[in-house]
Amino acid sequence: MDSLDDPNRVWPTGLTIKESEALHKHVIDGARIFFAISLFAHLLAYMYSPWLK
Amino acid sequence: MNPISHRAMRAWVGLGPRFLPFADAASAEVPLSRLLRLSLVHVSVGMSLVLMVGTLNRVMIVELGISAALVSTMIALPVLFAPLRAYIGQSSDTHVSVLGWKRVPFLFNGSMVQFGGLSIMPFALLVLSGGGASHAYPHWVGQAAAALSFLLVGAGIHITQTVGLALATDLTSDDRRPKVVGLMYVSLLAGSIASALVFGHLLEDFTPGRLIQVIQGTAVLTLVLNGIALWKQEGLKRMTPAELDAPRPRFGDSITLYMQDGAALRRLVAVGLGTMAFGMQDVLLEPYGGEILGLAVADTTKLTAALAAGGLIGFGTASHLLSRGADAYVMAGRGALVGSLGLALVIAASPVGSTTLFAMGVILVGLGGGLFGHGTLTAAMNGAPEGQVGLALGAWGATQATAAGIGIALGGVMRDLAVTAGAAEQFGPAFGYMTVYITEIILLLATFAVMSSLLRPKGAQGMAG
Repeated sequence: MDSLDDPNRVWPTGLTIKESEALHKHVIDGARIFFAISLFAHLLAYMYSPWLK
Repeated sequence: MNPISHRAMRAWVGLGPRFLPFADAASAEVPLSRLLRLSLVHVSVGMSLVLMVGTLNRVMIVELGISAALVSTMIALPVLFAPLRAYIGQSSDTHVSVLGWKRVPFLFNGSMVQFGGLSIMPFALLVLSGGGASHAYPHWVGQAAAALSFLLVGAGIHITQTVGLALATDLTSDDRRPKVVGLMYVSLLAGSIASALVFGHLLEDFTPGRLIQVIQGTAVLTLVLNGIALWKQEGLKRMTPAELDAPRPRFGDSITLYMQDGAALRRLVAVGLGTMAFGMQDVLLEPYGGEILGLAVADTTKLTAALAAGGLIGFGTASHLLSRGADAYVMAGRGALVGSLGLALVIAASPVGSTTLFAMGVILVGLGGGLFGHGTLTAAMNGAPEGQVGLALGAWGATQATAAGIGIALGGVMRDLAVTAGAAEQFGPAFGYMTVYITEIILLLATFAVMSSLLRPKGAQGMAG
């Protein structure tokens, strides 16, 4: 494990830029899945009960 | 990286550690509150299972008028994914991340998949039923959407349950695992029972709008519960550049390594045989009580409760004894024996015509199932080799879920075959059921034999006595 005086760490979390990138990737991936799901759900909802008609 | 992502990423590093999803330290002593949080994964699994197998099973057939064959195909779809549990477990064992996370990414993605399936499910079912304006579209659209939603929920359950169990194994020491297994089982049961009651109450006055509210409410609750469950469960474990670049072991190699220990395969065979045996009578107990012993509907429903009560007593007893140092294989072996004794009583109830004997048999089958389930899972956790915990738990789950599915299907098919072959007219209406029950007893005795071969010499004496 890196030492506490690692200059790459950003405080107060102590995460490095690479680590925060990895964390951010999970958030973005989650948002992408969420978007795809909502798109598909809206398509099915439209088939059942079309709006703007 | 675009400027928005860059700014968001900067925000992560600027947050206080309290707001980040890492455990403060990967300590040896894990508090009960953390384990209770982790058990929420199993509550949401129970919720989804009840929704698919129980509530929606009825809603699709009765309220939405979908054919029973299509409904059972949809419900059976997730079982197809069960063998993938071993792969999921192995992937989480060998997952490479700068953060050193192994289980949390899978829990997160699994929860998202489960959430996704539940989110599209109500609309998919409404389109499948041809309601609203959806009859203008071809049938396959509804079928494909419904199949996709069931597959997604099933895949989500397989991922979160496998990785949740692997994480529980990572966090606890050998002597505490029996209690953890008990906690996970009770959470699953509690989640199932509570959600069955709530779903039943909410869907009493059925409308399509209510169906959407209930299923999507379940989707949101799944995400909330799993979010609370995975929060701060895994510590930040920085990997060195060499560890990050090291080639990941292939699935086939990991399986070969795992199977090198001869006990692993025998353990899985025992799990498969036993689970199949316990699964076979699942859908037959109620019709047996009604058709052969002439019980009323209200009484046969109590049977399911008796079976569950027996199971809970079994889990409780197994938790208590295993945490005091009893051998998990002995426990599982005794579960198989108690189960076969229960089935013998169920068989005997028909010629004697005794409902008391039948009820006692059902409770014993539940008790045996509880002891067996707890014993085999504890054995799988304790026998998991270092670095292969996910694979071991995945292999256990894959065998267990597949065998349960095959068992349930086989039970029904065997009974129907015995009836259609005309044997029922020759030997009486109970013949079909007897065929299944006797097959189960044989399977349970075979399970006991395989379990016995896994015992250490000291344990063997205990089991024989």
